[in-house]
Amino acid sequence: MASEDELNLLVIVMDVNPIWWGQQAQREPEFTLSKCLDAVMVMGNSHMAMTTTNRLAVIASHFQDSHFLYPCKNWTGGDGAWDGTMDETPNCGDGKYELLSVANNVVAEEMKRVMSTTEMKGNSTDTLLAGSLAKALCYIHRMTKELEAGQEMKSRILVIKTAEDCARQYMNFMNVIFAAQKQNILIDACVLDSDSGLLQQACDITGGLYLKIPQKIALAQYLLWVFLPDLEQRPQLVLPPPVHVDYRAACFCHRNLIEIGYVCSVCLSIFCNFSPICTTCETAFKIQLPQMMKSKKKKLKQSI
Amino acid sequence: MASLSEEVLLVLKKVRQRKQDGTLYLMAERIAWGPEGKDRFTVSHLYSDIRCQKISPDGKAKIQLQLVLHTGESSTFHFSNDSSALTDREAAKDLLQQLLPKFKKKANKELEEKNRMLQEDPVLFQLYKDLVVSQVISAEEFWANRMSTTNTENTLSDKKQDVGISAAFLADIRPQTDGCNGLRYNLTPDIIESIFRTYPAVQQKYGENVPHNLTEKEFWTRFFQSHYFHRDRISTGALDIFSECAKQDEQGLKLMVVQGVKNPLVNLLSLEDKTIEEGYGFSAAASTSNPNRTGKENSNSAIIKRFNHHSAMILAAGSGRGDAPNDPASETSSTDGNSRDSDLSQPPIKKVKLQEAIDYLDLQREDGPKTVALNLKKSDRYAHGPVPLESQKYTTSQDIINSITCIRHEMANYVPNLAQVLTSSAVSSAIAALSPGGVLMQTGSQQAIDQMVPSEVQGELKHLYIAAGELLRHFWTCFPVNSPFLEEKVVKMRSNLERFQMTKLRPFQEKVQRQYLSANITGHLEEMLQTAYNKLHAWQTRRMMRKI
Repeated sequence: MASEDELNLLVIVMDVNPIWWGQQAQREPEFTLSKCLDAVMVMGNSHMAMTTTNRLAVIASHFQDSHFLYPCKNWTGGDGAWDGTMDETPNCGDGKYELLSVANNVVAEEMKRVMSTTEMKGNSTDTLLAGSLAKALCYIHRMTKELEAGQEMKSRILVIKTAEDCARQYMNFMNVIFAAQKQNILIDACVLDSDSGLLQQACDITGGLYLKIPQKIALAQYLLWVFLPDLEQRPQLVLPPPVHVDYRAACFCHRNLIEIGYVCSVCLSIFCNFSPICTTCETAFKIQLPQMMKSKKKKLKQSI
Repeated sequence: MASLSEEVLLVLKKVRQRKQDGTLYLMAERIAWGPEGKDRFTVSHLYSDIRCQKISPDGKAKIQLQLVLHTGESSTFHFSNDSSALTDREAAKDLLQQLLPKFKKKANKELEEKNRMLQEDPVLFQLYKDLVVSQVISAEEFWANRMSTTNTENTLSDKKQDVGISAAFLADIRPQTDGCNGLRYNLTPDIIESIFRTYPAVQQKYGENVPHNLTEKEFWTRFFQSHYFHRDRISTGALDIFSECAKQDEQGLKLMVVQGVKNPLVNLLSLEDKTIEEGYGFSAAASTSNPNRTGKENSNSAIIKRFNHHSAMILAAGSGRGDAPNDPASETSSTDGNSRDSDLSQPPIKKVKLQEAIDYLDLQREDGPKTVALNLKKSDRYAHGPVPLESQKYTTSQDIINSITCIRHEMANYVPNLAQVLTSSAVSSAIAALSPGGVLMQTGSQQAIDQMVPSEVQGELKHLYIAAGELLRHFWTCFPVNSPFLEEKVVKMRSNLERFQMTKLRPFQEKVQRQYLSANITGHLEEMLQTAYNKLHAWQTRRMMRKI
């Protein structure tokens, strides 16, 4: 049983790469970024409605930057604290719990602002996922430090991923994963389009769930069913089994996945064939190849 | 049947066995009996087979000797020589008494060893039951490997200790009064050796004086008369050849004192009882069984405790008054002497100990680890890491611009509509996919094998693995096959493996399949056996090819 004082923080990292979503809008008009945002809001509301001590944060991951949708700097209240000096009452008119309606409004506003300021500078079209995860970790860390004495907080990160992996973010990604593992922060992943090896590793290492959903229009249902329960409740539910992760490394020369290879002891780069000089750090190596034994004719011992 | 090279120790005629007259022969390694008139033995027993001998009581008319073997059988010999039956039997009995113990130990020791090993190691016992009792391999093969490991242990305990000198050896030479005012001392060679080991000076004098000046008897008479032997060693008169011994002893003692203490800073608090080896007043088993101490041990320890307490009380009484005068004396003695001299005269170990006590490793300056900077020529590899290359989707810049404008347009008109997020058909198909048996739940439906199979079956499987492992080890150690012995062994092991498969593995497999379907827990065992068969087959075909 979770104690009264235990806080649960859910950070949702949404991949809002406009290029992918723009193409998606042309491919499947029934599931667009608006629908995805609605589903995420439903998930966030449900999480906050479970217990009063649950907290939420939403980060939008763009190819320009990572942006906090909720809580956001422009809103003076912070998370949960109600500052009564807001100009407009956030009253939806349907008697909703005010925190939820505030959250929804903030998310919508911020998203509109992010999208309206999107510009294509440079030629990087990859989502800055590693950076968003790092921001999420920092936020969790800050929240943990701001707790009162005696309060405990459990945190997890839910990543909703659309575009493909960016290989250039590998090192940062792995660092983020190991930092999360050290801090006992779960990373769950809900993948809409193509499987992501990095996220599979992240979920495997931190103990979270990885799910690639077959139908995007039922995204909200998948989120509520699989990702809403927190760590203590998951063993009591029948959830999708963990995915088999392919941990094979790719060699640095051909970028093929290999099972057995040669590793440079100086820079730890992996090669599929032995070469006397490591191409990454230019260290010279000598290797003793196994000697070819001349087969000797064995004479059977003669018994007397 | 007697081999010509056997040495016959005793021949006794007119010994009846099973109502037949005959002759009893005792040889170096066996005892045998042959009937009268024939020159072969009908009864022959090795001494190592004989457990014990029994004789008929003295009063009985029949004079018999019975030999009981280890197997439980017994042979009775009736000495029917009228004149010398009793002496014959006594002679046979004495000879057997001398010979049997020599052979007894060898046989018993091996059996005892085997029994002990089986009792100590339950895994070994189980393996023995599985393999030998069910006749998969014979007992000799089973023990062939084990004994080599135990023999090395036994040789360590065979080293004999030197016999020491009893502390009371001088007191044991109890003089007997010789009638009129004389004393008779009984000296055995043991006592003489003890005296020489304790008093080397006496040995020296003995060497000098006997047999030139004095006879042995006179030497010892003088020894016992001398004051050296008696308690008060006041050396009067130079007539006593032993007066110099006393002076020699004193010089020896002075030498030992001058050598001094090797380590004056020895830590008395951390001293423990240490013994040289088992047998030097110490036995490992006795120390663990404290509640089982005998009465005698208890009374000994009680006396020792009283002595210790008494000594502690004496020390306590002396320490109160003795401290005050002692301290100024010690201070003056240290300041009187030259400090440099005292330093040099202290043994070096003391200096080392003092140095150790005042040095703290943490307070010393740290030498940081020497590092070498990593110099990468292709540092972008560091960025992407060992990630396989994935085909990039190329998007034209026109596509990009289109997508962005589309999204911007969409988001500008975005209003959250949380009441229309899901349709019931989408939801129901999603729930179906997530329920057990659904699209996403396929791999999780297999139950772990260890939950399906009960623990007794798992235990049996473990025993099977141990037994199979043992047999396979014997099999694989035969390769490479170098000698005819190994060839035979290999073939024999193969038949052993097949027998194991038939008698143990198949029934187990069938039982498991009958009760717990689709659990293939013996697959790996079968695979291992099959590999062994394949190897043997390959080796045999290669041999055929070579011979052709």
